[in-house]
Amino acid sequence: MSELHWLSAAQAARAIAAKELSPVALMQALLDRIARLDPKLNVFIRLDAEAALAAAMAAETEAAAGRLRGPLHGVPVGIKDIIDVAGLPTTAHSKILEDNIAAADAVCVQKLRGAGAIVLGKVATHEFAIGGPSFDLPWPPARNPWNTDHHPGGSSSGSGAGVAGGLFPLALGTDTGGSVRNPASCCGIVGLKPTYGLVSRRGVLPLSFTLDHIGPMTRSVADNALMLEAIGGHDPLDPGSAASAAGRYAAALDRSVRGLRVGFVRHFHEVDVPAEPEVTAALAHVARTLQMEGAEVRGIRLPTLGEFAAVNRVILQSEAWAIHAPWLRERPGDYGQLSRRRLMAGAFFGAGDYVQAQRRRLQMIAEIEAAFREVDVLLCASSMDPPCRIDRPVDIDRTYARQARTPFNVSGHPALAMLAGLSVDGLPISVQFVGRYFEEATVFQVARAWEQAAGTDKKHPPVV
Amino acid sequence: MDKATIELLARRAGLAKALAEFPEDVAAAAKQAADVASRIEQPTEPTAEPWPPMRAGRGL
Repeated sequence: MSELHWLSAAQAARAIAAKELSPVALMQALLDRIARLDPKLNVFIRLDAEAALAAAMAAETEAAAGRLRGPLHGVPVGIKDIIDVAGLPTTAHSKILEDNIAAADAVCVQKLRGAGAIVLGKVATHEFAIGGPSFDLPWPPARNPWNTDHHPGGSSSGSGAGVAGGLFPLALGTDTGGSVRNPASCCGIVGLKPTYGLVSRRGVLPLSFTLDHIGPMTRSVADNALMLEAIGGHDPLDPGSAASAAGRYAAALDRSVRGLRVGFVRHFHEVDVPAEPEVTAALAHVARTLQMEGAEVRGIRLPTLGEFAAVNRVILQSEAWAIHAPWLRERPGDYGQLSRRRLMAGAFFGAGDYVQAQRRRLQMIAEIEAAFREVDVLLCASSMDPPCRIDRPVDIDRTYARQARTPFNVSGHPALAMLAGLSVDGLPISVQFVGRYFEEATVFQVARAWEQAAGTDKKHPPVV
Repeated sequence: MDKATIELLARRAGLAKALAEFPEDVAAAAKQAADVASRIEQPTEPTAEPWPPMRAGRGL
C-alpha cells in the first residue's frame, strides 16, 4: 500500500472495508505526520488526538465485525474552526470566542460521523472567516505546504493546508466570498462550494446569511463527490436549506464530456482583472484539453467581476455587521485589525445600499441563468495569481480581490476550484468549473475529465 | 466621506469605543464601505425585486 498519508478517502475506506487497512494504523500515521509537520504548517487550532484514536479503535472493531457505518468508515477529517464539534471550542480563530465550547455537532459534522468519518480536530481559519492572514490573533495563520513562506489562501486556510500537506484526506470549509475555493486554489486541491442550501448551515457560525456555503475540500474529485454525498441534503431547521436531497455524485463521475457545452468566461481574467500570463496560459490549456476530450467550448459573457465583487461585499459586510455589532461595540480590541476593519465597514452602509445590492443580485442571477441556457457548465479563472508570500501585506492586499469566485456566492451556483498547473516557482495555479443549480454531478464530471487528463490528483507538495 | 461624517456615523452605530481606540480602522472601514457601494449599478426599473424574494409558507 502506498504511503498512508497520500491515500484518498475512497482508497482508505475501501481498504478498511476489505480489512486490508487498520483505521488505527491510518490514524496513527496521520498523527505522527501532524506531530512532524504541523509546527511548520500551523493547521491545527485544536488537535483532538485522544478522541480520534479512540474513534479509530472503535472503527477497527466495527470493521472487523463487518459493521461499517458508511462510505467514509474510519476516514479522518479536519473541521474548520467556525463549525461546531461537540465538546470542542469553536473559536473562529478569534480571542472573542476563545472559550466558546460547542454543545452539539453541526449538522454537516453529524452527517460525516454518520458516514463513518473520524474528526481529527479543529483547524485554522481567517478570523471569523474574514480577517486574514493575521499575525495579531491568539493562533498563527496556517501556511502553504507547497512553500511555507506563502499564503495557503483563506478563509478555510487550515482545511486547505491540511489536505494538501497530507495531514488528513478530507476537510470541511466554508465559502462566503470564495473561502473554500481560495485555499483549494492556493494549495492545489479540490474545493467545492455547493449550490446554496444543499448543505445545512446549522451549527456553523454565520458570516453572511445569504452568502454562506459549507463545502468539501479533498485531494481528488472522487473524494469530493463522496464527501458531498455524505454532507448534502435537506435540513428542516435551516431556513436556507433547499428542499432537494443530496444527489448521488460518485457513480456518475466517469461519464465522458463528449458533446458537453462548456462556456469559457474569458473576460473575467482577460479584461476585468487581467491575470498573470501563466494563469492565462493554464486556463487556455484546460479549455483545449476539454475540447480534445470532445467538449464544445464557446465564449460566454457575464456581468463584470468588479460589480459582482461590490454586490458581494455590500451584502456580506451588511449581514456580518448585524452579527458582529455587539462585539465590535464592546470589544473592538479583541479582534485582529483586518477583521475589525472589514467587519466595521458594515456600519457605514445604509439600508438602501443593502436593498439595491440585493436587487442587482437578482438581475445578475438572471444573467447567469441565461448563460446556462446556452451551455452546460462554465469554465473560468479562480485566482488571477499564484499564492503570494504570507509575510508581505502589500502582496496580500494586491491579490486579495484578484479572483473570480464571488460571482457564484452572489448567485448560489455550484462552483469547484482545482489545480490547473504549477507556476514557474512551483506554486499551484487554479481553474474553476461552475454548474447549474443542483447539477454538481456535471461539475464533477468536467473536473474529473480534467483531473484524469492532467493527473492533478497525483501532484503533491515537495516540501512535506 | 469626511472625518466629521465618519465620526457621526460611527457614534450612531455605537462604535464610540472603536473610534477612541482605533480611529484609523474606523476611517478605513468607512472608506471601504463608500468605495464598494458606489461600484454597484443601481437597478432603474421600479419593479426590480431584491433577492431572496419573500415566500409565504416556506418558513421553518
